[in-house]
Amino acid sequence: MIEIHDLALDAPDARRLFAGLDLVVPRGGNQLVTGPSGSGKSRLLKVVAGTEQPARGRVSVGGVAVWPGSGAFALMGKVRVGFAFATGGLLSNLSLWDNVALPLRFSGVPAEALQGRVDGALERLGLAAVAGLRPHAVSASARKHGNLARVLAYDPDLILLDDPIEGLDRSDRDVALGLIQEWALDPAKTLLMAQEQPDPFAQLASGQLDLQALSVPLETP
Amino acid sequence: MAFLARLGAPVRGFLAFLGDQAHLTLSTLRYALLLRMDQATVVGRQTRLQVRFTALDALWLVGGTALLLGAVTLIQAFSQLSGLGAENYIGVLMVLIILRELGPLLTAILVIGRSSTAIAAELGAMQLNGEVDALAAHGVNPYQYLLLPRWLGVLVAVFTLVVMFDAAALGGGFLVARLKYGVTFGFFMDSVRQTLSNRDFVATLLKVVVFSGAITFHACHFGLSIRRSQTEIPQAVTKTVVSALVAVFALDGLLAAIFYF
Repeated sequence: MIEIHDLALDAPDARRLFAGLDLVVPRGGNQLVTGPSGSGKSRLLKVVAGTEQPARGRVSVGGVAVWPGSGAFALMGKVRVGFAFATGGLLSNLSLWDNVALPLRFSGVPAEALQGRVDGALERLGLAAVAGLRPHAVSASARKHGNLARVLAYDPDLILLDDPIEGLDRSDRDVALGLIQEWALDPAKTLLMAQEQPDPFAQLASGQLDLQALSVPLETP
Repeated sequence: MAFLARLGAPVRGFLAFLGDQAHLTLSTLRYALLLRMDQATVVGRQTRLQVRFTALDALWLVGGTALLLGAVTLIQAFSQLSGLGAENYIGVLMVLIILRELGPLLTAILVIGRSSTAIAAELGAMQLNGEVDALAAHGVNPYQYLLLPRWLGVLVAVFTLVVMFDAAALGGGFLVARLKYGVTFGFFMDSVRQTLSNRDFVATLLKVVVFSGAITFHACHFGLSIRRSQTEIPQAVTKTVVSALVAVFALDGLLAAIFYF
C-alpha cells in the first residue's frame, strides 16, 4: 500500500531531519512510527498523505506516485485516505457534523447513506450531543475525536493517525483505542500511526520504525 | 555580478508572482470543469455565502457612496460650467466619469477593502490550522472547495455592485440636475443613453471579470502563502490590499487604452 524509497525530510528551518528512509507497508499492514518530538513523525505522515513535499525520495500509495508527483491531488478519486491530525485539521467555520460529512459529500455518497454514516461515527465517538457545534466551541478531546469520527465515516483504505490518543482522558482514550484496534484487525485497512512512545500500539503494529535511529545529528559549532 | 543579481531579484520575484497567479487561475478553471454534480452542490453553497458577504452586506455602503459621488460630480461640474449650458453635458459627464471609469474602479476598491482582506485572512488562518491540508488529504480538492466559490462569489458580487453603483450614481446625479435645473427624468436618461455605447457595456463587463479575478487570486495567493505563524496574517492582508489595488489600476489603464485610446 505504501512504498517509500530513499526519503529525506527537512524541518521548516531547512535542517535535515532524516535521510535514506526505505519503507514498505503492505495492504492491511499496521505500521507504527515512533520518535521524540520534532523527529519528523507528523511530517512523514503528511508526506504520505501528499500534503507536504519531501526534500528527496519517492513515495507511492496504492500504486499511485505521490512524490515526485502532484501530491494529494494524485490520490484524489484513486485512493481514499483518512487522516486524524494531532492538532487542528477540522474546518473552523463548519460544525462537527458538517466536518465529518464534507469528504463524503465530495465523494458523492448519497444523502441518506451519508446521514447514517455521519450520525453513526459521531455516536461511536461520543460526539452526538455536540455535533452541531463548531470545533472552537468543544473541548480539545472532542476535536481529537472529531478527527477520528471523520476518518470512521469516510471509511478510507489508508488511515494516518498522528498522536491519536495524546491528551485524552481515560474514557476518551478507551473509545479511541477500541476504534483503532478494530481498524488494525481489518485486513482492508492499512494503518500508519505516529506516536512518541510505542505503547499502547506496539501490540497492534505489524511493523515498527524508530525515526530517532535515522535522525541526522545536529552540528555543533 | 552581485549588483546584477540584486537588480534582477525583484524582477524574478514579480515574474514568479505572475506565474503563480496564472497557475491559480488555470488550475481553478481546470478543476471547475471537472466538478461533478454532487460536488457542484457543495461549491454552490459556498458561493452563496461569498455572494452574501461580498455583495449583499455591502449594498448600502456601495449604494450610499455612489449616490453621493453622482451628486457631487454634477455639483462640481455645474459650478464650473454654469452659463455654458451645463445641462447639455449631463449625459457626457455621467457616462465618462461615473459609468465608464469610477463605477467599476470604486466598486473594485471597496471590494478589495472589505472582501479580499477577509479572504486572505481566512485562508491564512485555515492554512495555519491545517484545514487546507485536511481538505486535500480527505479528497476534497481545495481549488474546488476554497478557490472556485470565492472566485465565482466575487465575480457575481462585483457585477451586482457595479450595476448598483451605476444606478445609485445616476440617481444622485439626477437629484442634483433636477434641483439645480429642473431637468426631467426623461431628459436626464435620454442624455445618458445618447452618450452610452455598446462599447461601454463590453468594457464594463470585461472590467468586472478581470477585476474580480485579480481581487480573488491576489487574496488567495497571499493567504495561502502563510506557513508558520499568526503574525503573517496581517502582513498577508496588507500585501493583498496593496497588490490588488496596483493590479486593478493597471488593468483599468490597460482596458481604457484598448477600448478608448
